[in-house]
Amino acid sequence: MPRPDAEPRHRTRGSDPGPRTTDHGPLGGRHERPDARAKVAGSTRYVGDLSLPGMLHAGVAVAPIASARVLALDTAAARAVDGVEAVVTAAALPGANLVGVIFPDQPLLAADRVRMVGDRLALVAARTPEAAWRAARLVEATLEPLPAVHDPVAALVPGAPLVHDGGNLVRTFQVARGDAGRRSADVVVEALYHVGGQEHAYLEPQGCLAIPEGRSRITIIASCQCPFYVQQAVARVLGLPLAAVRVEQAPTGGGFGGKEDYPSEPAACAAVLAFATGRPVRFVLPRELDMQVSTKRHAMVVRHRWGADRNGRLRFAEVDAVLDAGAYVGISTVVAERANVSAIGPYDVPNVHVRTRIAYTNNLFGGAFRGFGAPQVTWAAEATIDRLARAVGLDPLEFRRRNLLDDHRRRICTGQLLRRPVLARECLDRAATLAGWDEFHARPRAADTATREGMGIALALYGCNLHHGGQRLDRSSAVVILQADGSVVVRVGLTEIGQGNLVACQTIAAQALGVDPTAVQVWQPDTTTVADSGPTVASRGAHASGMAILDAVRRLRTRLDPVAAELLGCRREQVELAAGRARVAGEPDRSVTIAQVAAELAARRIEAIATGWYRSRPRRFDAATGEGEPYEFYAVACHVARVAVDRDLGVVRVEEVSAAHDVGRVIHRDALEGQIQGGVVQGVGWGTTERLALDHGRLVNPSFTDYLIPTFADAPKVNIAIVESDGAGGPFGAKGVGEPALIPAAAAVRNAVVAALGVELDALPLVPPAIVAALGDAHPFAWVAEEEHEHVRSETVAPGR
Amino acid sequence: MDVPVQEVIRPATIAEALAALAEREDARPIAGGTDLMVQLRDGRRRAGRLVDLGRLGLAGIRRTRDAIEVGAATTMDAIAASAEIKRSFPALASAARQVGAWPIQCRATLGGNLANGSPAADTAPPLLIAEASVTIASAAGTRRLRVADLFLGPGRTALTPGELVTSVRLPLDEPAPGERVVERFTKVGPRREQVISVVSLAGRAVIRPDGTFALVRLAFGSVAPVPVRALTAERALAGRRPDAAARRDAARAVQDDIAPIDDVRAPARYRRIAAAVLLDRFLQEAARG
Repeated sequence: MPRPDAEPRHRTRGSDPGPRTTDHGPLGGRHERPDARAKVAGSTRYVGDLSLPGMLHAGVAVAPIASARVLALDTAAARAVDGVEAVVTAAALPGANLVGVIFPDQPLLAADRVRMVGDRLALVAARTPEAAWRAARLVEATLEPLPAVHDPVAALVPGAPLVHDGGNLVRTFQVARGDAGRRSADVVVEALYHVGGQEHAYLEPQGCLAIPEGRSRITIIASCQCPFYVQQAVARVLGLPLAAVRVEQAPTGGGFGGKEDYPSEPAACAAVLAFATGRPVRFVLPRELDMQVSTKRHAMVVRHRWGADRNGRLRFAEVDAVLDAGAYVGISTVVAERANVSAIGPYDVPNVHVRTRIAYTNNLFGGAFRGFGAPQVTWAAEATIDRLARAVGLDPLEFRRRNLLDDHRRRICTGQLLRRPVLARECLDRAATLAGWDEFHARPRAADTATREGMGIALALYGCNLHHGGQRLDRSSAVVILQADGSVVVRVGLTEIGQGNLVACQTIAAQALGVDPTAVQVWQPDTTTVADSGPTVASRGAHASGMAILDAVRRLRTRLDPVAAELLGCRREQVELAAGRARVAGEPDRSVTIAQVAAELAARRIEAIATGWYRSRPRRFDAATGEGEPYEFYAVACHVARVAVDRDLGVVRVEEVSAAHDVGRVIHRDALEGQIQGGVVQGVGWGTTERLALDHGRLVNPSFTDYLIPTFADAPKVNIAIVESDGAGGPFGAKGVGEPALIPAAAAVRNAVVAALGVELDALPLVPPAIVAALGDAHPFAWVAEEEHEHVRSETVAPGR
Repeated sequence: MDVPVQEVIRPATIAEALAALAEREDARPIAGGTDLMVQLRDGRRRAGRLVDLGRLGLAGIRRTRDAIEVGAATTMDAIAASAEIKRSFPALASAARQVGAWPIQCRATLGGNLANGSPAADTAPPLLIAEASVTIASAAGTRRLRVADLFLGPGRTALTPGELVTSVRLPLDEPAPGERVVERFTKVGPRREQVISVVSLAGRAVIRPDGTFALVRLAFGSVAPVPVRALTAERALAGRRPDAAARRDAARAVQDDIAPIDDVRAPARYRRIAAAVLLDRFLQEAARG
């Protein structure tokens, strides 16, 4: 909330209103999101608002240290707490003690070994949340500390403490093209980047409600992105068939990847407790615990050696990245696959050697997070591109223009040819124009002021949808039901998590059926209503669910069109659906309402329900060499950031970000702009103030008091350029934008800050102490910290308020 | 998670409040609750009984002959909006407007900000340079304590169980004719709003027509176990002009007034440098007037 005396801050919205007339359908317009009013008014009921008669509350006892042997667990005191109904340890689990998504390396409950702070030791169900958490605190664990490793690079050195028996190197991904080619480079830049992780900071913490039916089946209502992941995890720990586990997605207050893989864990916990007690169990994580134990964006260490010729053409790029998986693989392998393909950005480089290794450590474990490994390597790549531009004496824009992929040079590092049109140059020009790049640089700037201004640019190449390695998951299911009154029910398997999937599905269905969006009701996913549709990740929500909806509408029309044709007195091939009517193509006056057609279908007892299916096209990819087609198609994004840096205090203010995005076709303009604005702000936060402070694997700032996400006062003005084109493979030609919206933002900010200060900054985030440290002796008061100080008191400043 | 409190008492008079506080050792006063509620929930503080100060008439700003009295339950928002405070103690008004964000400012009180005992309390440095004192009441009577003597360590104050801050007294100190006063509060944090100070400075300078200091008072937050007056730096500047040499001496001297540590918000080195930067900027502003 702004201070009452604060200056009003500018907020812009794209001025393009988009198509408005219903005749064109709702596609690309701005009709009201179906979930908006309830969310804004506070009437949406999240998991934490749900209650059932006899419902119990879950708590969990977790390990306070990062590496230990579990010698004993004493639950007597916990069981004695008034109101406690069950305390469950590993020994009492009904099914498999396993929650790993891909690798079987993570137990639901630690039995003998602790590998990270937050490993679960025991679960509690009690009649009140207070009793559950009090009992959880009273679980007495006798832990024998073991050596731990917290640095992913050190973890790969022989002799490092082993997190799991098989060694700390989980996997290596590589892609190589051309040869070293160093001789032809006139300038070579070497750099080592330390890119920090990020907390998702969804508004609603992790939570679910498990409702057992005896011991034969169970319903889970969960705040999640991936109901089918939750279904599989619960079936496994309970030893039930998939059909006996129903997962319904609750309205979800933000995900950002944090509710992709992680929700399986609290759901499995609640399910175990529900079966142990025979009663509904609600499990909502308190914020501090949520931040402490849930997945994070992976921290990465990225080593670069890149070369260019004196004309400013890239000659080679060598990237050696290490990704800190933390104590469990989770989905780190998939994150590393994307990082590996994204490591050199949208640039034409003849010789490429990229290696991405995944290291186990005893840190919090990495998981899915908007961008999925791409933001980290993009941050490094765009820093190196700026270094090279400086080294050859070119403007950062001009250097990029000479190296960007385009319609003639469209081979990426894996050898894949991008589909035309390749819009990198277009995005760069649009973003630079919006930002006023030339005007900014033409303006004189004083060098001795406290506040230094800078402008920086960054681009990203984003592989749309799932990587080849995850292609088995890349399918989706939809159900469309035409009601007798002409209204439409749509069910899909992909989730609304704030990103706008409901409105996207509504728009797509309305467009395809020629009805008003308000006639279409899209319902939250439920695993009993649609087939496994894979995860809501990889910016695939609108794509995967939209394609399935279009398929369902096509199948529905095989029954609808003949009835409409009969009513209209035309051939079925002449029937078109638009503006809420079925009409004869070319003769708009000959029409009936969709409601009339629906009533006729009902009267004749014709099947008015259709299913739809989508699967991505098969592709060729060699995981061993990294060659082939890792993604079906790609999107490009370019961000330009303008910053004001208080040099002596090291405080960065991001004033403005101009974002150009290659989106194919717009489905819903407000949702699209919202994604871009949100992605930019989240990227800016990651790049500047969001620091995960880890001490021996423990997060020491697990609260919004000390983990600083941007407030509205910190949000930059966001200018948006939407670059549309034909030819993308999504519904009506759309491409996903959820992740591209974030990926280049922090890199653009970094380059802007470097431009403002004239020093390289190679660690993210750019918190004030890091900037002051990077200035070194150039800081006018560096000397005060070097001298001896007589005033020393033994007391310390407390970390709390 | 709920706050583990057994009872909440809402007394109508100060006498009742003091009795309610004296009855139980684990009784705590609560006004805005913006710090206390969070601490209770986290288990950082405990209270079996909360004594709500909302009905005691402790809010309000009153001018006496030689001072301004601010009731302990006066909100940050009321302080920031007060013309009296803005005129005579602009650093306090500015600090009050930088506590948390506006919704917090509408609940958080001056007494609470002090009784919480945080080294980062934003109102403390302005009160230190005002040489303010607090009135403390208990069942045994009332006493007066300088704000400089109130803070003992992180989260610890000179208040004993059963004691209640009822008001804060800021002595008025009119400059002599021809002198000008420059008073500022600045805080450093990585974001614009809702941030706990990494370093804060309140400075008050009275400058003679010849440009020398008639008076300079400096106080810092978040650079020591308690908010501190920078007396060494003040002595280094006494009677001088805030020229480059004096500013450099002050930047050196202030290092002996502060004792920062490394914590989650910043390393000690950064705090030392930032304290010097804030001081230098204040002195430059004083020179410009």
